[in-house]
Amino acid sequence: MKKIRIFTLAARNLRRKFIRTLVLLLIVAVVTGTLLSATIFISGMKNALRIGTYRLGADVLVVPEKNESQAKAALLAGEPTSFYMSRDVLKKVQAVEGVGKATAQLFIKPASFTCCANVDAFLVAFDPKMDFTIEPWLQKNLKKPLTDEEIIVGSSIPVVVGDTLPFFGTPFTVVGTMEPTGMKFFDQSVFMTMDAAYQMAENSKTKAMEPISINRDEISAVLVQDQENFNPDRVAIKIEHDVAGVKAIASDEVVSTVRRQLGGLLKGILAISAVLWGLALLMMGFAFYMIVNERQRELGLLRAMGAKKGHVFGLIISEAVAISIVGGIVGMAVGSALLLSFKNLIMHSLKLPYLLPSAVVLIELIAGAVLFAVLTGLLASLLPAVSASRMEPYEAIRKGE
Amino acid sequence: MIEVRELTKTYVLDGQVFKAVDNVSFVIGRGEMASIIGHSGSGKTTLLSLIGGLTKPASGSVLIEGKAIWSMSDDELSGFRNRKMNFIYQFSSLVPTLTALENILLPTAFGDHGENLVDYARELLGVVGLTEKENSYPSHLSGGQQRRIAIARAFINKPDIVLADEPTGDLDEDTENEIIALFNRMNKDAGTTFVIVTHNKEIAALTGHQLKMANGIVSDISRA
Repeated sequence: MKKIRIFTLAARNLRRKFIRTLVLLLIVAVVTGTLLSATIFISGMKNALRIGTYRLGADVLVVPEKNESQAKAALLAGEPTSFYMSRDVLKKVQAVEGVGKATAQLFIKPASFTCCANVDAFLVAFDPKMDFTIEPWLQKNLKKPLTDEEIIVGSSIPVVVGDTLPFFGTPFTVVGTMEPTGMKFFDQSVFMTMDAAYQMAENSKTKAMEPISINRDEISAVLVQDQENFNPDRVAIKIEHDVAGVKAIASDEVVSTVRRQLGGLLKGILAISAVLWGLALLMMGFAFYMIVNERQRELGLLRAMGAKKGHVFGLIISEAVAISIVGGIVGMAVGSALLLSFKNLIMHSLKLPYLLPSAVVLIELIAGAVLFAVLTGLLASLLPAVSASRMEPYEAIRKGE
Repeated sequence: MIEVRELTKTYVLDGQVFKAVDNVSFVIGRGEMASIIGHSGSGKTTLLSLIGGLTKPASGSVLIEGKAIWSMSDDELSGFRNRKMNFIYQFSSLVPTLTALENILLPTAFGDHGENLVDYARELLGVVGLTEKENSYPSHLSGGQQRRIAIARAFINKPDIVLADEPTGDLDEDTENEIIALFNRMNKDAGTTFVIVTHNKEIAALTGHQLKMANGIVSDISRA
């Protein structure tokens, strides 16, 4: 037979009052689950925004003035779109003070692809000679330029390297798949060279069911990299001032748009979490106050047998910590499972980018949530535990009768 | 030896100071079997709790083997109780979540008793005639059985002093006699000092040292 320890007493007490233990455990689980889900959710959006902004590789995106909202919707929510403006815009933008590099891109909204029935894929054509957004990725991962017969695809396009994909009657070989960013604009795009896009449009006249037409004098957007020491916001203002009919969107602006959307959401989530946490703290505190009250005599008897104040304190705290650990783990598991299950639905409703945080960040968040649950239990039981340990043994026995 | 010197314990009831124990002094020798008799509310239980260090006196002192227990820190006093004394109550004092054997061993959870006392706990179970109830929980034991387990527990730490508060209250005569016989045996064999609070004059008559208490005052002390 094992020696009786304080934890044995705590565990047996919890088991004896099974329903109460279960209710307390559920309270901790709900708070931990909500908090963890909210944290992973927010962290995932920030993660997507950070990686997506980095992938954009540009400080400023110049689009036709009338298509600003479409461009933002494409960037943030990945809504397929196509709009065009004169190629002259590129030269004009290049001439603006503060502009370092500038390159053109074409957004071609597809009809439907056999590959991607469930994905709103769209085509992005870039100029390999001037590009600074896709080229660094190609140099690092492909180690060769992209030919006019090749494409690289975003992570959500359901193909593998080596597959052949036909677009508007022209077959392309997939030579690379980009890492996920959480932003549909990148994850659901198919990247090809500008010349390949022109050739594809030409071929579509005879080979495609629904031919497309691309005017070589038109582009969809100009991506700008600022010169050093130039502020993207100021460069964007300067571009709008110098080039008529365009909207220059600084990457900061994209981020701040999402941040604005996130802000309200964040406040709501924080408010709900704070209220839940406060309620949990109150309910647990009250429950432990009741536990101490109804076990006064038992605690007094333990003191009479030689239990020190620390033993009684440890007994109450052990019960709270045990509930918190188990509740925290349950909440963590259920919260994560629910978040992962409904992630797409939530993201679709909110139209916000999302990329699950890295394993390390996830582990940190999970450990933090469980630690938070334990701290909640500790905090809730602290006063009852102190009061229990300070009771005079005789008074405790007498009042408990 | 238990030496009680001018011990007073007061309570405030409805704004009035009430003396539960009023300037009491006496000595109980080592290995003595003593009883405190008196009516309900005479202050017997409070006096027993003062001797056991469970409640602090308003004034006066309790010396056990020459050591003033209230000069000890709370932890020292707890350790002292755990090693040197044990209690028997008039109510069921078992922990409901522990088996009979675990209840007997419970005091050993709060101090280092050096040896594995499981065998001794089983021996005590045998002494109180409940060997077969080793794994029973209190809810499956009768009131008398629970009391006997509590009595067995009082000896697990091999105490020098056992403070018993109406240990045979509510029990039938046979069980009462068994328990008194057990006390006598422990007193003779192990030299355990007993202080028994009772309102039963027959039980008190079996002890060699009787203290009569009324209104917080020990009014009569007689030794056999």
